[in-house]
Amino acid sequence: MRILAVGLIAAILTACGSGKKPDEQAFLNSLDSAKSQGPSIDEEVINSILQQIPSPLEISVLLKQSGTKYNSAILNSPDNLSKYNSNYKKALNLGIYGTDLGYTNIYQQNQDGIKYLSAIKSLADGLNIGQFFDVETIGRLANNSKNLDSLLLITTQNFNTINHYLQSQSRANLSVLLLTGGWLEAMQVTCQVAAHNPKNQDLRETIGAQKIILEQIVLLLTFYKGDENMASLLKDMDGLKATFDKIKITYTYKESTMEVVNGVSMIKDNSTTTIDITDQDIAAIKDLTNSIRNKITS
Amino acid sequence: MKKIILSLSFLLSVGIGSSGLIGQCNSDNFSNACIPKLAGGFNFLKSYKIDGEGGSKEKVEYSYVFTKGTQYMINICANGQATDGIVVTLFDSGRNKVASSKINGQFIAAIAYPCNATGIYYIQYTFDGSASHCGGSALGFKR
Repeated sequence: MRILAVGLIAAILTACGSGKKPDEQAFLNSLDSAKSQGPSIDEEVINSILQQIPSPLEISVLLKQSGTKYNSAILNSPDNLSKYNSNYKKALNLGIYGTDLGYTNIYQQNQDGIKYLSAIKSLADGLNIGQFFDVETIGRLANNSKNLDSLLLITTQNFNTINHYLQSQSRANLSVLLLTGGWLEAMQVTCQVAAHNPKNQDLRETIGAQKIILEQIVLLLTFYKGDENMASLLKDMDGLKATFDKIKITYTYKESTMEVVNGVSMIKDNSTTTIDITDQDIAAIKDLTNSIRNKITS
Repeated sequence: MKKIILSLSFLLSVGIGSSGLIGQCNSDNFSNACIPKLAGGFNFLKSYKIDGEGGSKEKVEYSYVFTKGTQYMINICANGQATDGIVVTLFDSGRNKVASSKINGQFIAAIAYPCNATGIYYIQYTFDGSASHCGGSALGFKR
């Protein structure tokens, strides 16, 4: 009995002392080789910028609603998985596959979705964050088209949890890569679709509006330019930003009106933005995005 | 044996007390509860913790890039049915007020914002006569 009591006390003290689960420690150890020069700015600032980057799912919904047909050829094939051996490539392509999974989900292409799910799980395991990806539940939901809402919800929640975890572990650099990869893939898909629908104003404006998000991504990458890989990516993204700089976004504020309808505050937004983007701008953005994305996926 | 059990109970109570589990704002629970309360047709995007740290913080703020042509919903969950005095206000990048969940003195649990201008927006939670200064929120979208 005495041994049991001593063991219990020891267990409590050990648990209180380290504050880390074994999988967390493994995660930290595994990234030692990828340790980069730390950011020169407060992590809270980085996290606040990270959380404002919109979900690529918004673009997938736009594409489907614009009547665009599903096209798996514009996605990054899950067969490329074996090419991604460094943590840098794993994190970027985890973001890319995340966007691709969202795209297949929105179009309810479950067979393709399962392949992306498997690739995502493998990359996430490689970064020791696989425990946050509930493959079993997502796989089950993906097999029934009636579960689309739940499928989208759980997938989004899993990616949010991964990002929160990385940030809480002072590994926001991986979170930046994940979001950059996800954004690049959404851009690439949008540009490919826009090339076949040059008159689609929604798509043109969506591409132009990415200027705002790219500025935030470039800012995030700047914090990590002490790392060789991040500096190289920053250089590429800076080149893309230079192309986006030609796009003019004009914002006009006008006070909104509000009314309560069925217990919800319904807003009428009277502000406007106009986005001036030419065919040449779109072509240049498409080429550059494709080039950067190919560097990452090949 | 009694001494050991008493010692263990003491250690556990000290441990729980010092880790601050008692009386803390469990904003995670509130934000998770808010997700299924998003109106039908809205896809979940983010959940936000609203922890006013017992009144020591005047506001809790997040930001997000909203896109023209997309409708967003932000809801609030707190103790009980009402919002416990928590108000969400949306500001554009120039800090102009765009939307609020407090209309004519009435606390509303959700705002629906059909965005007409793409840009960075600030989602600010404040406490207006709040008892717990604790809650959660969810952001969803539809097109």
